[in-house]
Amino acid sequence: MEHTQYTKEEPDSGDVTNGHFDGMVKRPGGGRAAQAPGAESGAQRAQSSVMENWRGERTRSVEDNEMSLPSLAAAYTTILRGLGEDPQRQGLLKTPWRAATAMQFFTKGYQEKIIDVLNDAIFDEDHDEMVIVKDIDMFSMCEHHLVPIFGKVHIGYLPNKRVLGLSKLARIVEIYSRRLQVQERLTKQIAVAITEALQPTGVGVVIEATHMCMVMRGVQKMNSKTITSTMLGVFREDPKTRDEFLTLIRS
Amino acid sequence: MENHQVSELNSNVVDKILNKDHCKEEKDSNDTAVKLANMQKAYATILTGLGENVDREGLMRTPLRAAKAMQFLTKGYEETAQAILNDAVFDENHEEMVIVKDIDLFSLCEHHLVPFFGKAHVAYLPNKKVVGLSKLARIVEIFSRRLQVQERLTKQIAEAISEVLEPAGVAVVIEASHMCMVMRGVQKMNASTVTSVVLGQFRDDHKCREEFLHLIRN
Repeated sequence: MEHTQYTKEEPDSGDVTNGHFDGMVKRPGGGRAAQAPGAESGAQRAQSSVMENWRGERTRSVEDNEMSLPSLAAAYTTILRGLGEDPQRQGLLKTPWRAATAMQFFTKGYQEKIIDVLNDAIFDEDHDEMVIVKDIDMFSMCEHHLVPIFGKVHIGYLPNKRVLGLSKLARIVEIYSRRLQVQERLTKQIAVAITEALQPTGVGVVIEATHMCMVMRGVQKMNSKTITSTMLGVFREDPKTRDEFLTLIRS
Repeated sequence: MENHQVSELNSNVVDKILNKDHCKEEKDSNDTAVKLANMQKAYATILTGLGENVDREGLMRTPLRAAKAMQFLTKGYEETAQAILNDAVFDENHEEMVIVKDIDLFSLCEHHLVPFFGKAHVAYLPNKKVVGLSKLARIVEIFSRRLQVQERLTKQIAEAISEVLEPAGVAVVIEASHMCMVMRGVQKMNASTVTSVVLGQFRDDHKCREEFLHLIRN
């Protein structure tokens, strides 16, 4: 499998990647939030675009959700009409609100920061053998068709004197998967987040998922699965480590 | 002079009739285009409301793709069982159970606009009329590609077959997984919803029903 080099990428100017806004946070109501404390300079911007919202501001808050709910519901009413349905019939009466709330739930990863989840659960431990958490159920939304993606995530890392609470690996998966995603990017974001949090000797992330956009529409292949992986550090350099990881997640 | 005027009048009338049909087609396709444009705008609003940036590369054409995907997922509204079935009904001296099972089914929950999917098992007891087997799967498609509730979907499939074929009995069982329950809400990964509708002999004769249920389990 090809593994792209992990380097700190140069950001595109004015780039937005997966909900991370360079500098200003856009509020749905049209107002603009205050700039993040310690406003980013060019060099910091290079770092932060790689680390996504590891340290940056949340791009959405609970208040934002409440404020944008009416316009989301109105949009869903338009969609129902566009499909030829009658939004006034009993079964559809509250659907715009339910669909809008559901969509906000499916993208709640935008409201969360890694730093909130991980801060308390990094422990110093004299352990340098592989730690694997596998078969983590993952649900995401395809950013191209707004249709669900679901599957399993397998994470392995080699600690370097610091270990992470095990459920936190699953929480990292939740934060990045509950967004509009592309499976390749999701895999990389999870791997990079663990690397930044723990500075381990190596990290491996494998995701196998089914894309409803391929199953329910388009090419309509029921049984197809997409598998992506990101290997960093010793998982990339040492084939034996990688093999061990891949064997352990298969069993 | 008069004849010429009359024939002109006739050709005008004929033209008007032809144009009227042509206009209706144009109007329909304009309607579709307008609806698609409105849905696109709605999806762009949704993306912005969720805190995303519609101008980033991955999302630039998403409103159009999502609108088209939604249209595909609800294409059942434009189809009727009569239109699909009527050509493929054959007279056959067969009265034993016919089952088509494990028909993959994909639908949209009308409450949350989130997919649910699973398998449909359809059986009927012919009354001198049999139907092309793929048509049973097509009926499932017509009714499932809509905003649905699983109970209603099951019933609609059973009733459609019943109306067109007038068989001695119809049975439909659907087992599906609802993403609205798996991905959100109560979040139960492995829960499966099973609904069934039995009509005619399948309802009255419990041995007949048992045979059907047994055959779809294997």
